[in-house]
Amino acid sequence: MRSKTWGSAAVAIGAVALLAGCAGGGGDASGGGNELTILIGSSGDAETQAVQAAADAWAEENDASVEVVAASDLTQQLSQGFAGGDAPDLFYMSWDQFANYAQNGYLDAYAEELPNAGDFYGNLVDTFTYDGTFTCAPKDFSTLGLIINTDLWAAAGLTDADIPTDWASLEAAATRLTTGDTVGLSFGLEYARLGVFMNQAGGQLVDGDTVTADSPENLEGLQYVQRLHDAGVLKWPTEIDAGWGGEALGAGKAAMVIEGPWIKGIEGDFPDTNYQAYELPAGPGGQSTFTFTNCWGIPADGGDTRDLAVSLVEYLTGDEQQLEFADAFGVIPSTEAAAATYAENYPENASFVAGADYAVSPVNFAGSASVITDFNSQLSGLVGGDAQGILSSLQEDLQAALDEANGE
Amino acid sequence: MTATTATGAPRIRRHHRTYTTGQIVTTAVTYAILILLAVVYIYPFLISVAGSFKTEADATQNPLSLLPQTWSFTAYERLFTSVPLLGWAGNSALITVIVTLSRVFFDSLAGYALSRLHFRGRAIVFAGLIAVMAVPNVVLLIPRFLILKQLGLYDSYAGMIIPILIDAAGIFIMKQFFESIPVSVEEAARIDGAGIFRTFWSIVLPMAVPALITLFILSFQGSWNEFAHFIVSRQSADLNTLTTGVASLTSGQLGEGNQYPLKLAAAVLMSIPVAVIFFIFQRRILSTSEGGEKG
Amino acid sequence: MARGIRGPEGRYGWAFVTPAMVIIGVFLVLPILLALYVSFSDWNGLGSPLGNSRPVGGENYANVLVESGLAQRDFGTAIRNNLYYVLLVVPLQTALALFLAVQVNNRLLKARGFFRTAFYFPSVTSSVAITTIFIFLFASSGAINQVLAWFGAAGPNWFADPNGIFSPVTGGLTADGPLGLTWAAWLSGPSVAMCVLIILAVFTTSGTFMLLFLAALQNVGTEIEEAASVDGAGSLRRFFSVTLPMLKPTLFTVLTLGLIGTWQVFDQIYLTGGGAPGKTTLTPAFLAYDTSFSELQWGEGAAISFILFGIIVALTLFQRWVLRDRDLGRSGERRARRAEARLRREAEGARS
Repeated sequence: MRSKTWGSAAVAIGAVALLAGCAGGGGDASGGGNELTILIGSSGDAETQAVQAAADAWAEENDASVEVVAASDLTQQLSQGFAGGDAPDLFYMSWDQFANYAQNGYLDAYAEELPNAGDFYGNLVDTFTYDGTFTCAPKDFSTLGLIINTDLWAAAGLTDADIPTDWASLEAAATRLTTGDTVGLSFGLEYARLGVFMNQAGGQLVDGDTVTADSPENLEGLQYVQRLHDAGVLKWPTEIDAGWGGEALGAGKAAMVIEGPWIKGIEGDFPDTNYQAYELPAGPGGQSTFTFTNCWGIPADGGDTRDLAVSLVEYLTGDEQQLEFADAFGVIPSTEAAAATYAENYPENASFVAGADYAVSPVNFAGSASVITDFNSQLSGLVGGDAQGILSSLQEDLQAALDEANGE
Repeated sequence: MTATTATGAPRIRRHHRTYTTGQIVTTAVTYAILILLAVVYIYPFLISVAGSFKTEADATQNPLSLLPQTWSFTAYERLFTSVPLLGWAGNSALITVIVTLSRVFFDSLAGYALSRLHFRGRAIVFAGLIAVMAVPNVVLLIPRFLILKQLGLYDSYAGMIIPILIDAAGIFIMKQFFESIPVSVEEAARIDGAGIFRTFWSIVLPMAVPALITLFILSFQGSWNEFAHFIVSRQSADLNTLTTGVASLTSGQLGEGNQYPLKLAAAVLMSIPVAVIFFIFQRRILSTSEGGEKG
Repeated sequence: MARGIRGPEGRYGWAFVTPAMVIIGVFLVLPILLALYVSFSDWNGLGSPLGNSRPVGGENYANVLVESGLAQRDFGTAIRNNLYYVLLVVPLQTALALFLAVQVNNRLLKARGFFRTAFYFPSVTSSVAITTIFIFLFASSGAINQVLAWFGAAGPNWFADPNGIFSPVTGGLTADGPLGLTWAAWLSGPSVAMCVLIILAVFTTSGTFMLLFLAALQNVGTEIEEAASVDGAGSLRRFFSVTLPMLKPTLFTVLTLGLIGTWQVFDQIYLTGGGAPGKTTLTPAFLAYDTSFSELQWGEGAAISFILFGIIVALTLFQRWVLRDRDLGRSGERRARRAEARLRREAEGARS
């Protein structure tokens, strides 16, 4: 009797221990040997499948197997992976988090070893250079353009001659296109869109070691946006019940939006919407657009899989493979040669490639991301608010972050 | 309950006769307020169910209507095909079953020891328990993540389950309950020669069924609806539970649009098990939340 | 108790509590100690904090509390947001729960079962499901705004509106207040978006607390109320002079649970965009998570967690002190404590 009851207690405690035990074995996603895990922030099924197909093709030649995981929240999953000692062998590293990761020693600086290291666009290489070292290979890039719903354009009686080339013609077109149900222009209320106007006015955020956020040029850019919004010809997607600009365009809630080549993604949900992309109009300071890019990140302690991952990156960033990605989900290849081919193959996206000549990367240094996040949140007070005050606050925080990044 | 209704019935009639105009107005107003409030509490759920059967455009344009313009099952089709909803549900079910059984068993075991068994250090253990109950859950997010990682349990079923196998409050509930049972029954059993575990298992526990049911309901709801712990204890998509999976739908991925029908369908489906448990034990939960403490 | 069974009792006693102690020790006490260390270190998230970090003293705490800069302003913003959340949710949910409980406890009310079900049902659903539903309800052309339109009111774009509800009044106060925020920011009130989360909290918790009040009302029994009723006391007066004092222990419990719960908002923030719009729904609980997991500032995130812990403990003690009942005898205190523990568990089950 007694031994039996003791037995039950032992079984009960044992059950806990057992659960703990079986945990140790499983759950190790990175594995060893020739199994690679890629974590991507996917724009949709098309992208996930294309990456998987490319990885499989490489794996077959290299006697390896690759699992592609589409993250639901890439930033969070990456940092949990690193902190959990279980980082993916290869991952999308976004431009805005890159410097933070590089500074914290998360990344393997493999990019200079790549045979095709010299083929990438110079400003993309700059984006992924930390402390003078080209760290990770740009996967592809996108620039922003002005996307116009051509049906609404024609319905408003506008012609090719009216395509906006400067701020005045943009305002005029937006005004003509604004009707009861449709707003002329729409884009997200964030630095990644409004920063373009600041740059077009001739401004910039950082000049060497000095932050120049509160310059009159930047203010002029913000005030232009304020003016369009006050006039009712510009609305943020959230104001017209759209998740992002593309949805606003596709659903006919906005006649023009500022987005990138990923606009192609709306064809699934809105097959009947006709649109055309143009270069962004020039401001008083000339033409400007942003370039957004991810690189292929490899963890600093990549171990066994590090060399395999580098070889996979070489394959994935090859001109041929990049053009296949372009085919599948519309991104622009990160090498100049492939991008030129791309512009020929996809004349409708040629304007995005043309933008690469004068595009700049949004500000990114270690610690800038949280300042930009804060700037984005302050921008929500832009309408009817104090643009100068927002820029002053940005100036102060960005300078503090820059000083810290430079170790001052 | 039945007793009060039986004696209550004639009183109601007596009151009816003495109603003044003022009382009638008050009653009418009370009913109006309560019915309005009931609508406010229930209608959101009804239009969510309706919304899950609408088309995207219909759900956006006619959010209030209870009947879809055209019945669309697209949301549900997608949930069972392109969204791994069944996998999420499987994980939720597995975790809920293990956690609920474990809590019911271990909490009553510990609660019994703390209320009935005399052992050295009992007072200290109990004081520790009280202290532990004071730690808010969200404060534990980062610490739990750190320890799971340290123990190599991060991103595994074990890491998701073991930390929540026992909850201090459950032990407390059971301890309080056992204290309300007369000691004489156990003493009789022990005089008959039953061992301590046997006394607990076959004499005391059957008497504790009301408290066990309370604990069962709380544990079931708590583990099925748990969210924050699963955010910090896992990252693999395979380990998504319904809460974290649906959260990834709700918090939205780039370029996916609002997709209200899909999100509502997921929210509706994930609420079904807790709703079923609620309706099964409805009378217990609602007529009195005293639960086992009546003794 | 016969002396003879002391021996085995000791062994069994320990055997029975061991599983609980092991789990609580390993997954609660140890993690807190580890996180406490991290909060005083510069660990960057790579490898184990033990061995991969240097102690930095109180730097993480200083960044958040005293050194002016983004970290401090974020923390101040989060505290402001949560403070308004607490100040509005706790009284509203308590008053509504009490009102509902009194109504559905009324024996004269028909369909009491239906009303109890209706009011309690939101409490059983998960925060994820209910937040999803609220995002749908409060969309800019959603159900709520359509209802408002019947009355000729144009509803705001709820989840996207960062304007504080008092900001038209307080806009001019540009003087600097505590934690890097201006007084205008401190006094601007919860944003419209935060108001939705406040409504959500009241909506989901009032049912749980209604049950607590209901249980207490049933314990009070009908005799006293009936006696008062025979005395001819009006129903309102009867409520305030007879019923409410009897409910004092429960009221105390509900307020304490509400206070503890409202400082812990996390799920809803996570689901509605991590503080959007304009950080006006950011809370300390979410900020701690985000600082660690997204910004990789693990020490600072852990420090925020412990500051939050301190706030909750301090406010609970303060409330205890303010609301302490000198008339409550020992048995009353015991009863209140017991009820509190049980109910806290229930509230937690319902909230999570």
